[in-house]
Amino acid sequence: MRRSAAEIALSAGVLALGIGVSIGTLMLPGEGGYARIGPNFVPGFVGAGLMVLGAWLLYEAFAGGWRHRGPDSPAERGEHPFDAAAFLWVTAGLFAHMALIGTAGFVIAGAALFACVARGFGSGRFVRDAAIGFVLALGAFLFFVKFLNVGLPGGWLAPLLGTAGI
Amino acid sequence: MTETLSALATGFGVALQPANLLWGFIGVTLGTFVGVLPGVGPALTVAMLLPLTVKLDPTGALIMFAGIYYGAMFGGSTTTILLNAPGESASIATALEGNRMAKAGRAGPALATSAIGSFIAGTIAVLLLTLLAPLVVEAALKFGPAEYFALMVFAFTTVSAVLGASTVRGLTSLFVGLFLGLIGIDSQTGQTRFAFGVPELLDGIDVVVLAVGLFAVGETLYAASYTSRLPETLEKIKGSMWMSIQDWKRSWRPWLRATFIGFPFGSIPAGGSEIPTFLSYALEKKLSKHPEEFGKGAIEGVAGPEAANNSAATGTLVPLLSLGIPTSATAAILLSAFQNYGLQPGPLLFQTQSELVWGLIASMYVGNVILLILNLPLIGIWVRVLAIPRPLLYAGILIFATLGAYSLHQSWVDLLTLYVFGLLGFAMRRWDIPVAPAIIGLILGPLAETQFRRALAISEGDPSVFFTQPISALFLALAAAAVIGPWVWRLAKRA
Repeated sequence: MRRSAAEIALSAGVLALGIGVSIGTLMLPGEGGYARIGPNFVPGFVGAGLMVLGAWLLYEAFAGGWRHRGPDSPAERGEHPFDAAAFLWVTAGLFAHMALIGTAGFVIAGAALFACVARGFGSGRFVRDAAIGFVLALGAFLFFVKFLNVGLPGGWLAPLLGTAGI
Repeated sequence: MTETLSALATGFGVALQPANLLWGFIGVTLGTFVGVLPGVGPALTVAMLLPLTVKLDPTGALIMFAGIYYGAMFGGSTTTILLNAPGESASIATALEGNRMAKAGRAGPALATSAIGSFIAGTIAVLLLTLLAPLVVEAALKFGPAEYFALMVFAFTTVSAVLGASTVRGLTSLFVGLFLGLIGIDSQTGQTRFAFGVPELLDGIDVVVLAVGLFAVGETLYAASYTSRLPETLEKIKGSMWMSIQDWKRSWRPWLRATFIGFPFGSIPAGGSEIPTFLSYALEKKLSKHPEEFGKGAIEGVAGPEAANNSAATGTLVPLLSLGIPTSATAAILLSAFQNYGLQPGPLLFQTQSELVWGLIASMYVGNVILLILNLPLIGIWVRVLAIPRPLLYAGILIFATLGAYSLHQSWVDLLTLYVFGLLGFAMRRWDIPVAPAIIGLILGPLAETQFRRALAISEGDPSVFFTQPISALFLALAAAAVIGPWVWRLAKRA
């Protein structure tokens, strides 16, 4: 009997989301005017639906695993085993980008994101990648800010780029 | 009929204006360029290129989007044939034969039959759209809120329950999307729901952030974790680019058959082009005089599925334009492009914005021609795009993915939301949960809720309104059949 911890965890997550939505629904008003139903009706339905689906998935996960799934192991899928370092490099890149974009600006944040993601995919040349990311982000920045008038933060480079350091 | 023709003529007047023609050209080129990138399907291409159109007038922007859509589909086929890395599930059938043809040194004819087949299927499908959409609009003008609600419920069930391996997982994806659609301010009472006091959430979750999170961030996390260390082989284009007379003879029937398989699947709200591409593949295998070549690079196995894919994709524009109901992830993003301009597709749009709608339809005829004349000669450029090393490619995709999310409110909160959706997309990909129902649930959920509450307001709270009106009752019955049917079928088979 196949029993996957991930399937159980995901099923429980769906169930928990359903419970959370249902609790949140209780705090919404039910006054509805002519329709007799208020802004809490559909949330209640969605919460209930998620609970039922979560419970169902949980049942499947315990009773032989989720139905009609493809092969579960990466090898059978023609993939290599989970590479945690790669996953974390991509994650680190996105969080560095989040942290930097408001202060250092779009271009520097983009360079950091680019270098981290490339590192996650196995590139060994961090500085070169950061430079490529810098040029790419700079090009995107100039195109969007100067040509399309979309506001992006110049940050530390704002004086050089001739834009407001939003 | 004459009305349709004159409307279409006006539409061509709009589509052939030099500026709009230019937007069409730019759209097809950019769409192909981004669509060629491995792992980037049409839905993600459209979502990532959405910020580009902010300053355009609605007509120009939508014409550009039609071009992006077509370009992205062709770009995806190119990647599939040369790299065997389908960017979307509808390309899997192409991967079976197209990549084998490329390995055997016949990449040229495989790409050509894909491009010409897409052109023929696309053009016939737009013709069918032209004829069908006004009829649907005429029927839909008589729809009230109850009918719309029932129709949306039907669309929900077909996209989540009928397609895909598991009804439960499809519905789970749909309900997660419906929940995300609840976040923000309720349009009818002004009540805030599930925003947790975060100002960025008051506007609701943007469908582009969800789509880009699920597809771009999720795919990047997945590829880094599971495929980044694998070697890959890019097939070179050797030999003739052109199809031989034999290739033509073997291709034209599959093109036509597939067109008529794909279109109905797209246009009844049962979206998705997976089923028609596989149906076409199976049919061509059965009808072929060379069944032994299937699995080794049979041209029919590329010609049919490619045409079916294009035809189904065009078919999804029938419910989108005439009813305002998206039935594929790409259609959901196109709907959000309309909404960005304050436009709601549907029968009324055909009346109030006739020039825009018909300009868009006419531009699809034009877009198909642009695609044909642009892509085969430029194939060398697209191949070079494919040669970009994987680390740089994904890193570049994420720069543009985050740009779109950040430009919504200039806030890192949207970037965090994007990452959370990325994790969700990673998990859904890893454990076989379809993503399209979530995207459709997010954008269609609030519209369905509005119709539901409107219908009840008219009936003063009497829910029987959904079952006593015949059209509404019919769609709800079909929806129930779509969910329960498979179980009944399985039970009946067992008995």
